[in-house]
Amino acid sequence: MAVLLKTNPDELYYVVHPLFDEPEEKISADDLGTMKMSKSVKLALYALRGYLIIMGLLVSYHVVSLAIHHVMP
Amino acid sequence: MNLIKNDNFANKGISTPPPPKGRVVRSRWTSRLLLFLMVVGPGVIVMVADNDAGAVSTYTQAGYQYGTTLFWLMLLLLPCTYFVQEMVVRLGIATGEGHAAMIYKRFGKWWGVFSLVDLQVVNFLTLVTEFAAISMVATAMGVPPLIAVPFMALALIAVACTGSYLRWERATIALCILNVVWLLIAIPLGRGAQHPVRNMFLPTAPLGGFTGDAMFLIIAIVGTTIAPWQLFFQQSCVADKRLRFSDLKWERLDTFIGSILTQVFAVAMMIAGDAARRHGISLPAGKDFDPTLMATFLGTHGFGPVVRNCILLLTVDAAILGATAISLSSAWAYGEVKGWPHSLELSVRKAPGFYAIYALCVAMAAGLVLIPKAPLELIIISVQVVAGIMLPSAIIFLQLLLNDKELLGERFVNKPWNNWVNWIIIILLFSLSFILAAQVLLQR
Repeated sequence: MAVLLKTNPDELYYVVHPLFDEPEEKISADDLGTMKMSKSVKLALYALRGYLIIMGLLVSYHVVSLAIHHVMP
Repeated sequence: MNLIKNDNFANKGISTPPPPKGRVVRSRWTSRLLLFLMVVGPGVIVMVADNDAGAVSTYTQAGYQYGTTLFWLMLLLLPCTYFVQEMVVRLGIATGEGHAAMIYKRFGKWWGVFSLVDLQVVNFLTLVTEFAAISMVATAMGVPPLIAVPFMALALIAVACTGSYLRWERATIALCILNVVWLLIAIPLGRGAQHPVRNMFLPTAPLGGFTGDAMFLIIAIVGTTIAPWQLFFQQSCVADKRLRFSDLKWERLDTFIGSILTQVFAVAMMIAGDAARRHGISLPAGKDFDPTLMATFLGTHGFGPVVRNCILLLTVDAAILGATAISLSSAWAYGEVKGWPHSLELSVRKAPGFYAIYALCVAMAAGLVLIPKAPLELIIISVQVVAGIMLPSAIIFLQLLLNDKELLGERFVNKPWNNWVNWIIIILLFSLSFILAAQVLLQR
């Protein structure tokens, strides 16, 4: 943060590195709980979950079969 | 920059003690420059580290196969990388927390654990490719991998475990600056500026047309340029550096400069691959194109050992940069979700779990590479698929978080134009990642 110390004619600035500055209060998510979502967003996330599970299983199957082929060509 | 007029200091010169470790300057311009230099880091590191060993391989191969005809893609990807990373900057500065913590807190345990496990898997697989590159380059330079790989692993652990964020950042920035050598190499290897500039601003079909192979490489370039670990890394890095609300514009500039650098270095890598193609590199039977072959060929075909050694060392530099950033993103994410102390500012004694995860990732990946006949090709294919599957979902969460007014308020949420740009990027990435995953899964 740069802080103006003195007005004209000789303005001076203090510049402080973020790591050495006073900590500032951030936005906290701790008390908010999970995000409130509309039904369509919830549905889209369930669809995404399904897509990821199916793709994960497909990848696992593919990798295992390739690994077996690698061990026993 | 937050300017606070403080009458207490008026007409008192600088006799009043400044805030701890602050600097006093006389002009507004100098103060802004100094502030930018203090903030710069996370953006440049995440972007340049994105050009890791796998990226060097992908970009040089793109140059070898398609010359300079894919340069337009790099220009197209520049705003994409910037807009995606700018969102994590805003989220990190607003909340002071990492991406994994945000997903866990706002989307619940299932998505939190899923994102963490997915990130750890893809990060570990990517780390293995970094050490595989170190092993390959060591072999090309006549150093036994059994010495080079453990040495690099120990160096990577040592540089992060100093208990100082700044020490790690300065060492990493030095590694980023080394990438400038790519530009120095590209000048003698290239064919002047006219060709590359024309191919950058006038999109052309790749040499041989849009074949299946060309599409695969284009998707690989997109996947290399925007990777899931980058989102987690930069947000955690911004939080660890304790960037303030007033630093947002400087961190945006840092990210923008980083996104330009990463694309410029990538273009230089493509020029090196193009030079190998134009000078008629012939690949040994049963071997694919890789940066070590390219370096050896260019070194013995008119460009001398300096170019050869520079390319080999730059590949190691890329692998080290990628390895430190990826391992840190894993360690930060794990620490955030588990609630462990997780900061480079803490000593090993104060954050044992965080450093243990970092060291474990590095040690396991290095160890795996040293196992004789380890299935490295299988790992490289798995990296592409898992990253391809994970990236769009990670960006969807980012997009939802950046529209979370309850959390961020009006100040930090996406503007309508942000959303338009980001949804276009998400749809594009989703389509490409689906095609990539299908191509890899269906190939025999």
